[in-house]
Amino acid sequence: MRLSANYNRVNILTSIITLAITGCIYYLFIHAILTDKLDRDLDVEEDEIRQYVTAFHKLPLPASFIDQRVSYTEIKPVAMERRFAYTSYFNPKEREEEPGRSLFTTVTLGQKMYMVTITKSRVESEDLVRVILLITLTVTLVLLLALLMINRLLLNRLWRPFYTILTRMKSFDVASTADMDDEPTKIDEFVELNASVNAMANRVRKDYRELKSFTDNASHEMMTPLAVINSKLDSLLQTETFTEQQGALLEDIYHATGRLSRLHQSLLLLAKIENNLISDVQEVDIKELVEGKMRHFDELFARDGLTVSADIAPLNIKMSKFLADILLNNLFSNAVRHNVPNGDIDIVVGNGMLVIANTGKEIHPDTRLFDRFSKSTASEGMGLGLAITKQICNLYGFTLEHKNTGDKHFFSINFKLG
Amino acid sequence: MKILVIEDEQALLDSILSYFTGEGNVCEYATNFESALEKINLYNYDCILLDLGLPGGEGLDILAKLRKLNKRDGVLIISARHSLDDKLTGLDLGADDYLVKPFHLSELKARVSAIIRRKNFNGDNIISFNEVLVDVSAMKVTIFDKTVSLTKKEFDLLIYFLSNKNKVVSKNAMVEHLWGDEMDLSDDFDFIYTHVKNLRKKLIEAGAKDYLRSVYGIGYKFSDQ
Repeated sequence: MRLSANYNRVNILTSIITLAITGCIYYLFIHAILTDKLDRDLDVEEDEIRQYVTAFHKLPLPASFIDQRVSYTEIKPVAMERRFAYTSYFNPKEREEEPGRSLFTTVTLGQKMYMVTITKSRVESEDLVRVILLITLTVTLVLLLALLMINRLLLNRLWRPFYTILTRMKSFDVASTADMDDEPTKIDEFVELNASVNAMANRVRKDYRELKSFTDNASHEMMTPLAVINSKLDSLLQTETFTEQQGALLEDIYHATGRLSRLHQSLLLLAKIENNLISDVQEVDIKELVEGKMRHFDELFARDGLTVSADIAPLNIKMSKFLADILLNNLFSNAVRHNVPNGDIDIVVGNGMLVIANTGKEIHPDTRLFDRFSKSTASEGMGLGLAITKQICNLYGFTLEHKNTGDKHFFSINFKLG
Repeated sequence: MKILVIEDEQALLDSILSYFTGEGNVCEYATNFESALEKINLYNYDCILLDLGLPGGEGLDILAKLRKLNKRDGVLIISARHSLDDKLTGLDLGADDYLVKPFHLSELKARVSAIIRRKNFNGDNIISFNEVLVDVSAMKVTIFDKTVSLTKKEFDLLIYFLSNKNKVVSKNAMVEHLWGDEMDLSDDFDFIYTHVKNLRKKLIEAGAKDYLRSVYGIGYKFSDQ
């Protein structure tokens, strides 16, 4: 939820609750005050009747004015409480029932006791309350609406620099050398944010450059001794004056050196893909590449007695040819390496998908196949092949999935065409 | 063949020089930018092995200088930087090939031989070794005027051996040459044995002498000695 929407919601909710509560209190108060005034009018009327009775020793005539009526009923002389009550009042002029307020009291005339009922119409005071309430409500609504509009307009304008900065941060590319633009704003917080973001971007860029040059240097420095070891081994081999046992030792050293340099190259490659440093994006003919790889792996298929079936439709993908080659190489190696003797490999290309299925041992479903250095104990690889494959897929937004049903493994890449 | 090795790492330089010297090859070397420039100014070489990271200057500048001098020396870049950009820049500047460290000396020799063959025999790309004649461009092998039919891998292997004749070539180097070095497949390189066995059989059946022999299980040597 956007900040302005969030703010508006809170603002309006509290406004409405506060206004509802104060409205109720306001209504009750005015109502009470008006009732009190009516009661006092009724008191005055009662006084007048009592004075009349005291002066003339008889009851005044039951009178009916525009909004007031007095009536007398003879009752048995019992103690009766004097009380006010809400009643109805029949307006003879309008010929309709109106809400009324009555005072029930008693007067004693000689031996007789009379109940006096004085009723006044409440219609005027009710009207007054209603009008006051209506005016208050209208003002409130207008105020709320105004508040909403102001909030929306003002907030949007106030936060515009923030969103601009946000957009720039989103499009920030650590590898590009262009500086981030300053966003002109007079709001201190945003000026500060802008400065911090720019400072951070510069720091990140600096760190990135340092790391990159470190990686380059480290790779160079490590490759050189490796190259020396390799060349010395080759030279040593030419002397040909060693025993069988020394030969076996030499072979082990050869293997280890080979693995070390491959490992190193794989790690460098991973770093490069992560930093998007490989730029030769072009239209790659996957069909041709897969067929080439199948020829390339022919001897390996034959060595393990693997049966390969392929269903390859034309497919062109925009990506680095270098990475496409590595991607297929890794998937093919994986299918060979983790296969069983005399197993199968099925390759399907089409519909924007590449699926390579191979027979193999069942693995635990939680196995994190695509993690770096994740490999089965029996594997001779480095556990980087699938990590690199995953990384390449991430780079281009392809989805790479692995499914394991029984003794079959399916690796599928969805190139997300269209 | 006259070869100039421009490399600042002394140990590596020594290995390369000792591997290349002999069989009528003349090797010279330079260990820094200045002496390299001096050498290319003064002499012509069949092939120059150029390391990109040099003390005193950028290796690619030497390449540019060479092209400015209008020299047709073959150039093989050897670099520790496994960077596609460097590779493309180098090839754009007229280098003939690009080899990433670490490499096998046999691979280096094979690449250099290929460059020199391309430079010297325009269109007529033939290697001969006693009775074995290999037409590289036509991918044809003849022994006593008889054509030997080889598979692509066997053919590549034969050229590799011929480029490294009288040298022991390790199985690792052979696998990397045939399948590429990113092939992180197997430490079990014995399947290369099948290819060597087939190649040897075909050559002998066609009447060639048995030139191939295994060296302590580490590698093979193609030699008439």
